[in-house]
Amino acid sequence: MSFLIRRLSFYFVAFFIAISFNFLLPRLMPGDPIDALFAAAQGKMDPAQMDAVREMYGFMDGSPFEQYIAYIKSVFTLDLGPSVLMFPINVTDVIGQALPWTMFLALGSLIVALIIGVSIGTYASYRRDGLFGQIVPPLLAFISNFPYIVTALLLFYFFGLQLELLPLAYTYDPALDPGFTMEFIGSVVKHAVLPMGSMIVVGIATWVFNMRNAMINVLGEDYVTMAEAKGLSSYRVMSRYAGRNAILPVATAIAMAIGFSFAGSIMTEVVFNYQGLGNILLKGIVARDYPLIQAILLILVSAVLTANFIADLLYVWLDPRISK
Amino acid sequence: MNKLIDSIGSEDMSVQESNKLVKKIKGVFSTIHAFFHGNPPAIIGGLLITMVLLGALMAPILASHNPNKRVARPHIAPNAEHILGTTRSGRDVYSQVLYGARKSLTVALSAGIIAMTLAVAVGVTSGYMGGKVDEWLNFLTNVFLVFPQLPLLIVLAAFLGQVGSLVITILLGVTSWPWGARVIRSQTMAIRNKEFIISAEVMGESKLRIILVEILPNLVSIVFGGFLGTVIYAMGSEAGLGILGLGDATEVSWGSMLYWAQTSSALYTGAWWEMIVPAAALAVTGGSLALINMSIDQVSNPKLKTGPHMKLWKKLKKEADQRRGLL
Repeated sequence: MSFLIRRLSFYFVAFFIAISFNFLLPRLMPGDPIDALFAAAQGKMDPAQMDAVREMYGFMDGSPFEQYIAYIKSVFTLDLGPSVLMFPINVTDVIGQALPWTMFLALGSLIVALIIGVSIGTYASYRRDGLFGQIVPPLLAFISNFPYIVTALLLFYFFGLQLELLPLAYTYDPALDPGFTMEFIGSVVKHAVLPMGSMIVVGIATWVFNMRNAMINVLGEDYVTMAEAKGLSSYRVMSRYAGRNAILPVATAIAMAIGFSFAGSIMTEVVFNYQGLGNILLKGIVARDYPLIQAILLILVSAVLTANFIADLLYVWLDPRISK
Repeated sequence: MNKLIDSIGSEDMSVQESNKLVKKIKGVFSTIHAFFHGNPPAIIGGLLITMVLLGALMAPILASHNPNKRVARPHIAPNAEHILGTTRSGRDVYSQVLYGARKSLTVALSAGIIAMTLAVAVGVTSGYMGGKVDEWLNFLTNVFLVFPQLPLLIVLAAFLGQVGSLVITILLGVTSWPWGARVIRSQTMAIRNKEFIISAEVMGESKLRIILVEILPNLVSIVFGGFLGTVIYAMGSEAGLGILGLGDATEVSWGSMLYWAQTSSALYTGAWWEMIVPAAALAVTGGSLALINMSIDQVSNPKLKTGPHMKLWKKLKKEADQRRGLL
């Protein structure tokens, strides 16, 4: 339990650092981002809007400390002011629509990559003197280390544009009404195949190698030899004896991978015009919509912190020793 | 007479010196040989990355046109004059990809050097010093580790406006050290209590000397592995920032090539070469660096080896089994 409390307080502190960073960012940058913003939005904003933005940044009267407190309050009440790009819609509403898709993409691909990667890693280490163990890991290392953006572009070009197998934009067919119908879910899946696929391709090697390295250490243990000597089937030895123990160090890597997965989702969404946070972020950058950009950073940080905490819970479940 | 002896002695010395040198060079070559011998991934990765590096270094000789000049009509398909076609603005893709390699690799390599310097500094200090220093540095590492780097980078770049490659290099360098620092820290902690460190401490060696002479040489493979990983990541991020329009689009780099290809919708108009060529360059560089990285892992942990090493093991096992009458 104390482990979880320690982790929670760490995430809390980390979140505060993120808020403070967000607060300082517009104040530390060369030039006044507000001016840049107004220049970018010339003529599109009325004075009330400008005041709203100014207030959103905490650029109001009062000492920096008061501004800071006001900013923190606005973060916790989820009142981040209106977006410049889609005025007068609130930043939180804009993000609220996109966040689920990014979570779906980032976490979905992470889980699928984890399952496939761990399976391949287990098998490749168990049969590492065979053809599979010698060819598959290097091949995956090669393919998985293409930059996110490149994998996405290549899949986009070959499967989307050339073969015209799968849709190339949006999260679902705009003609359909969202709901729990087979048609709608089918459309969501179809639209997610390419973006998620490209992220899985990139993510898989991490797990193959983590698992393989952990497995190779475990396979030298006496209890594995004992299990083999008892005449257990190789599947049983591989999964129940070696795999179970090798998965622990792999679980620690999940925390790290969550951040990468969200970053990858941002890039992938841009390529596939998938309506998640990455897409909005790009639009925000083009329009110099700083309130939106900052809020997206903040929401990504919170998402990653939450996901990390879930990974911690998973770790405690896998290895109860840690919580003592 | 004494002089003669002296001169003979010194001759001996110089012969010994040169022998030592030859031995050292031989040692280096045998290390390289051992690294590549019977290790197809390392050979393939090494060959590919050598090609990329040569292309970047000899860009002025190999390039057929000026990468910054309009040399032909827009979007000409690959032909004899323009081996890889031309871009929307009529620039030669082949020449651009060569010159772009210089920029992209410079950014990636420098970012890797910055990041690993920080990682070594933080990781070794934290792991060796322990106590309060370790607590604080570890906290700092964990905070950086838990923040999504790329979004952070994007936001910083967005606030700075369109940034040049130098700024991108620095941003990449200072945001991508934490993973390396964590690995280096735990490795330092693992060797921290070994006899040779303790004896160095007992001999009264300074902390700095212990870190530089006793600890660092034992971290070389980890540091180099981390360096390659960071280079791969930095290269991808540079390309990513480029395609988002956050890099300096007037510089020729793989990132800016992707950006122009994207803005001219090269893929939709059928001019695949404008997009696929820089993408393939990025892919080959990333992939080959990863293959080398994988082989370095095998050097630092021989258990991970496959191939001839396992063949020998299998042969020995078979012989042993035969002796025992199992076969």
